[in-house]
Amino acid sequence: MSTSVSTSPTNTVTLQARSVRKTFVSGHIESIVLHDLTLDVHAGALTLISGPSGCGKSTLLAILSGLQPADGGDVRALGHALSGLSMRQLESFRLQHTGFVFQGFNLFPALTALEQVELPLSYMGLAKDVVRQRAVESLEEVGLGPRMRLLPSELSGGEKQRVAIARALAKRPELLFADEPTSALDAANGQIVIDILHRIARTHGTTVLCVSHDPRLVHHADRVLAMEDGRILSDHVPPAASVAVPLRGED
Amino acid sequence: MVALARKTLVYEWRRFLPAILAVGFASLLQLLQAALVLGIFGSASVYITGSSADLWAGYPGTQSVNLGRPIGEDVAMRLRMDPDVVKVEPFRWVDADWRGPHDTGGVSVFVSGIDPRADGMMFSRALPPALRARLNEPGAVIVDKADLDSLGVTIGDTAAINGQRVKVVGVSSGLRALGGVNIVASLETARVLDVAPEDAGMMTYFVAKLRPGVRPNAAAKRLNGSTAFGPYTVWTAKKFARESQLYWMFDTGAGAGVLFLAGIVFLVGAVITSQTLIAAVIGSIREYATLNALGVGRGSLRKVVMEQAFWVGALGLLCSVVIGAILLVIARNRSVPMEMRPLTAVACLTLSMALAIVSGLASVRSLRRADPASLLR
Repeated sequence: MSTSVSTSPTNTVTLQARSVRKTFVSGHIESIVLHDLTLDVHAGALTLISGPSGCGKSTLLAILSGLQPADGGDVRALGHALSGLSMRQLESFRLQHTGFVFQGFNLFPALTALEQVELPLSYMGLAKDVVRQRAVESLEEVGLGPRMRLLPSELSGGEKQRVAIARALAKRPELLFADEPTSALDAANGQIVIDILHRIARTHGTTVLCVSHDPRLVHHADRVLAMEDGRILSDHVPPAASVAVPLRGED
Repeated sequence: MVALARKTLVYEWRRFLPAILAVGFASLLQLLQAALVLGIFGSASVYITGSSADLWAGYPGTQSVNLGRPIGEDVAMRLRMDPDVVKVEPFRWVDADWRGPHDTGGVSVFVSGIDPRADGMMFSRALPPALRARLNEPGAVIVDKADLDSLGVTIGDTAAINGQRVKVVGVSSGLRALGGVNIVASLETARVLDVAPEDAGMMTYFVAKLRPGVRPNAAAKRLNGSTAFGPYTVWTAKKFARESQLYWMFDTGAGAGVLFLAGIVFLVGAVITSQTLIAAVIGSIREYATLNALGVGRGSLRKVVMEQAFWVGALGLLCSVVIGAILLVIARNRSVPMEMRPLTAVACLTLSMALAIVSGLASVRSLRRADPASLLR
């Protein structure tokens, strides 16, 4: 992992996978999705997992983020062993520490951009004015300050994805997971979204783990893991990364 | 807290409309059914509820006011002897046969012989003093205006009851009977119309007024204690009215019918409402799954769905109350026997809200499909 260390703004390992194994059974056929996979992910960097569909990258994301249990091996997130946690404890862990951005924006049609962002915050036990303040800040950070009173139907696809990012960001998570965040977007909007994700990693010191098969993203990542058939084939720093973004984050 | 349940309900009202209508219709049906039952079977006790007497004394064990048998004059003496009784009045019930001036055939009628004095207790709520006074004329009768058609008469016409000539001197409302037609006459006229020889001179009930502030229950209990003045039972007006209504309700099988229909309405309403709510949950399942991924617990998501069910119920109830009230007013104006009491209304509305809540519980189960891992592809 020496390559990743050299490009990451911090050396803190926030996600650890040790010999993680996952199999799916359909009928009598058992297929192995992850082959004893071992991986460290660092804070303050955008780590991209790329690979063809069906290579197991989304499953890896689900296991590292505590959405799915592994069949074998050990997963530690922020020092917590996820495999030992109950469903309720996992929910609580996700509420406190993680943010998610999905390919579909999954916004409630009835809520304004501001309310979409406030909704998960309101379950974190924060004071009402803190919720409002954080939501506004996050929306401003993704450039939607002037459009925060609009409903999803009044926003473009790119704007909706930025609302989804703001929704994840407002929780101030240490871990931010993004699954194919640009797949439903055109080139320009995809560019904006990946830039925002990258900036979040740098300015907030967040561990951003992004799964995508979109080759355009490779140059925006601090580290790229190429996956195939449930194994990591390569782990490298893309050449453009050191040029496109500064090595040190503003924090 | 963002009002997700309410905002979604308002924004996607078309989606929730079937559920609101289902709860509303179920609630309306329950209300109207209850009002009709109360109205129809309430007329079984119109003699009691239309009068101002506190106590009723009649043949022992009488199950409904229309089943009275002659009792001795001594019972009136016994009532008068009670220190709390200020006034006693006889009431004579005569089952009779009506022949109108026109071609109406025979009509089974119930003649109520009452004291026509202005301060009489019988039918004091249905007959104003001026109208009562007209009963002093021999052969004078008063009927409900809704019964004029079936009797084939108008005011001023003459007809025959049990072969005796009577004259319709006026009409009133709130006199409709169950299973026949009520005819109000003076005690004297009723005596003439009563052709059964064994009833000669005998009254069917004695009604009594108590001193103000005396509890009717205690007085009735005390009066029932002795048999020295011949056999009789004393009821409070409230109890006798209720017994009469219940007798009719179960004698006709209507009580079971009402319960059966209420069950059907509940079932159909719950099926429609739960299906609609399930569809609404499934429609937002990806959003719910995203919230769960962000750490919002299943319990909190269930609360959102249950809150939606509650608002669907509340809106349905509101619709039914508004429409029900309008229909009740229309029914009153058209002499349709309908009556609503607060307790019955609350019971009907509670049942309908229970329907919404049960449907909500059914739809909560579909939240299981809100698996955040399914959002990853």
